[in-house]
Amino acid sequence: MRRRFLYIAFLFQVVISLLFHAHAADQSPVYDSVSNRISKITIASEPNYPPYCIVDSEGNADGFSVELFKAAAAAMGIEVDVKAGLWNKIKQDLATGRIDALPLVGRTPEREELFDFTFPYLSLHGAIFVRKGDTGIRSLEDLKGKEIIVMKGDNAEEFVRRENISTNIITTLTFKEAFQLLATGKHDAVITQRLMGLQLLDEINIDSIAPLDIQLDKFRQDFCFAVRKGDSRLLARLNEGLSIVIANGTYDKIHLKWFGPVIKEHIAWQDVVRIGLSILLPSILVFCAILIIVLRSEVKKKTKGLKQEIQQRKEIEKKLHESRETYLNLFQNAQVGLFRTRIEDGKILQANEQIAQMFGYSGRKEFVYEYSTSNNYVDYGTRDKMLEQIRDTGEIRNFEARFYRKDKSIFWASYSAKIYSQQGWIEGVVEDITYRKQKEDELNKLKNELELKVAERTKELEEKVAQLDKSEKAMLFMVEDLNRVNKALKQERLKLEVSNKELEAFSYSVSHDLRAPLRSIHGFGQFLLEEYSDKLDEQGRHYLDRVIAGTKRMGLLIDDLLELSRTSRKEMHRKAINLSELAREVVDDLKEEHPERRVDIQISEGQTTFADPHLLKTVMENLLGNAWKFTEKCENAEIEFGMENMHGETVFFIKDNGAGFNPDYKDNLFAPFKRLHSDREFTGNGIGLANVARIIHRHGGRIWAESEGKGKGAAFFFTLESPNLEKKGTENE
Amino acid sequence: MNDPNERIILLVEDNPDDIELTQIALKKHHIANELIVARDGEEALNYLFRKGEFTELSLDEQPAVVLLDLKLPKVDGLEVLKQIRAHESTKYIPVVILTSSREDQDVLNGYKLHANSYIRKPVDFSQFSEAIRNLGLYWLILNELPPSAQ
Repeated sequence: MRRRFLYIAFLFQVVISLLFHAHAADQSPVYDSVSNRISKITIASEPNYPPYCIVDSEGNADGFSVELFKAAAAAMGIEVDVKAGLWNKIKQDLATGRIDALPLVGRTPEREELFDFTFPYLSLHGAIFVRKGDTGIRSLEDLKGKEIIVMKGDNAEEFVRRENISTNIITTLTFKEAFQLLATGKHDAVITQRLMGLQLLDEINIDSIAPLDIQLDKFRQDFCFAVRKGDSRLLARLNEGLSIVIANGTYDKIHLKWFGPVIKEHIAWQDVVRIGLSILLPSILVFCAILIIVLRSEVKKKTKGLKQEIQQRKEIEKKLHESRETYLNLFQNAQVGLFRTRIEDGKILQANEQIAQMFGYSGRKEFVYEYSTSNNYVDYGTRDKMLEQIRDTGEIRNFEARFYRKDKSIFWASYSAKIYSQQGWIEGVVEDITYRKQKEDELNKLKNELELKVAERTKELEEKVAQLDKSEKAMLFMVEDLNRVNKALKQERLKLEVSNKELEAFSYSVSHDLRAPLRSIHGFGQFLLEEYSDKLDEQGRHYLDRVIAGTKRMGLLIDDLLELSRTSRKEMHRKAINLSELAREVVDDLKEEHPERRVDIQISEGQTTFADPHLLKTVMENLLGNAWKFTEKCENAEIEFGMENMHGETVFFIKDNGAGFNPDYKDNLFAPFKRLHSDREFTGNGIGLANVARIIHRHGGRIWAESEGKGKGAAFFFTLESPNLEKKGTENE
Repeated sequence: MNDPNERIILLVEDNPDDIELTQIALKKHHIANELIVARDGEEALNYLFRKGEFTELSLDEQPAVVLLDLKLPKVDGLEVLKQIRAHESTKYIPVVILTSSREDQDVLNGYKLHANSYIRKPVDFSQFSEAIRNLGLYWLILNELPPSAQ
């Protein structure tokens, strides 16, 4: 009988396993290559759910489920590390990922939210355990209001709560604790899985408690391995492993090891039928459950499809609604006029507020009601043109024309429309462009004004150019005149050069030819005086003396004249010179010549200029020589050389406190042979200052003299042209 | 010719007054050397190169000094100087330019053509006489002539 029972059980389980194996195999190829990587996992088992999950004397987790799990995992080459822990705790650990799987979890709808399950390897029914002799509880209904003990988090608790068996629920951490409580007379019943309950009672030696004989149809438990929700890879491996151990007899061996002896001892012959039924029925139920699961998943799938379809339809509906809303909003709130008219009679079918206002109506309704195409909303000519275009091409775009409002006032609008022949209507857009047109007109006006202004300005400019042309011509004439004058000047200059040459030749001949006879007169006169003086009387000798003196004097005059001529003709070489040094040299010479003179001489240091050194030496010799000469009758003779800045011009001066001159005659000072002093007063021939003036003029400078009168000293000032203003012309006077 | 008293002076001068004054001055200072007078440039050159009326003359008797005026008829003084310096037989003869001009250009041209000295005739006769004396003293007595000229 026992063999038969096992055989039946085995058959069912093989059917189940094959069913699930095939199902698992469907999925396995997908994960095969990847799943090889799973080499070790950690699971946890509760200590007190015999014979499925227990802890042995050494504290290691053991039991049917644990061993089965290990066998299934080993079949897939996965090493398993098993920890032991209280149910509530390890359930939590799996949910949070601290462990990878649980070996024994009854599948309930609540748990399916948290975990994924392998196919069930056991299907067991629950039972109500009461104290023997308690006659108050005979059915499920009797439990109403009774105190029921369950293990916390067990399917029993879920079942009791789900089915509202009682409101008085007491939870314990283990079923052992629950049975002990019940055995000591506390509370009324314990609900748990029948087989486990019986084994546990036996283990803890409690025989005062027994299960009721009623079947708890709604507390059927399918036991599976559980993995974390979504861990499909491990799930597939475990399903496969489970199928393998069922198929190769390992399952059978493990089952025999854990269930065989216990059942034998506790089940009486008269119970065989009941036990058989209790095995058979669950198996059928498992089979049905599998079918249900398959169906349920099918239904789920279909439901999901339907739901999706409904969702899609809803969305489409929503979108339709939205686009209709959008369209209406656009239509009503558009800043342009929108309309739809019937082709056959021109009746307005739809219009927005904007177009009504545009045409001067109080509102949309009035517009739709009153307006018709027969109204003169536009000139006839324009209207024909518009209609022609619509007829020909089926549409018209941005047609700009003057439209009439209800009150016949005019506005500019841009008109676009399209024929929808099938619908029998025309749709269009009217945009008020009056403002733009105004601006265009203004712009055109501005443009015209601008053009006028430009034309005016151009004319003015042309006139100015013409005037300029005239002045240019005048200028050209002037330049011509200037050239003519220049030419004349050049000719004059040439003439001047020629006469200069003549003058030179004259001077040369004076130098030679006038001196020669003079020398004869002087020579023979002298000879006469020396050799024949005894033949002359005193008077004769006197006359001869006068002749000789005259020739001497004339010789000097000729020399001075030559000197003057030479000054004018000599080439000028300007360089940087120190006038102060030049003055000192001249003064030193004068002192040497006249060592008896005591003169207070002041020379300003560092006076430099750019001039011909030889000519300037002549200037300094003459001016300082004059000062020296004209102070010879002074007791405290003073001579000063220096520089003053007059109106930005550098002016050199030589001052003395000597004889001075009558300022009325100061213009005569620089003329040749003019003397302001008689020979008796001061010797001289009147050439020196003329010579100085010539040199200064040749340097482009000016010279002038000041005196407050005779005996009151004299001051001579001169300037020298700055070198950058020097021109060749200045060298030829 | 080593005897300074036998050295000849050649005076090239067209002005008879100046010739006479020169002679007076020489005489006054007791310079008794032979004075040959050429009255124009051509005559001077003829004398120096033994041409014309001087072809008979010995080439040995070249003057110890030439007193040369610049303004001369026919050939002017500077041309005479140029020719003197251009010929082997005359190129070492000392030439003193004795003229009225003191023009820089004249002085410069004189020296450019290798005149040995440039003296301006003073108007004052005492000065002129002094100049002649110095001339005689220097060129006839102090100055050593080059070997070829001796």
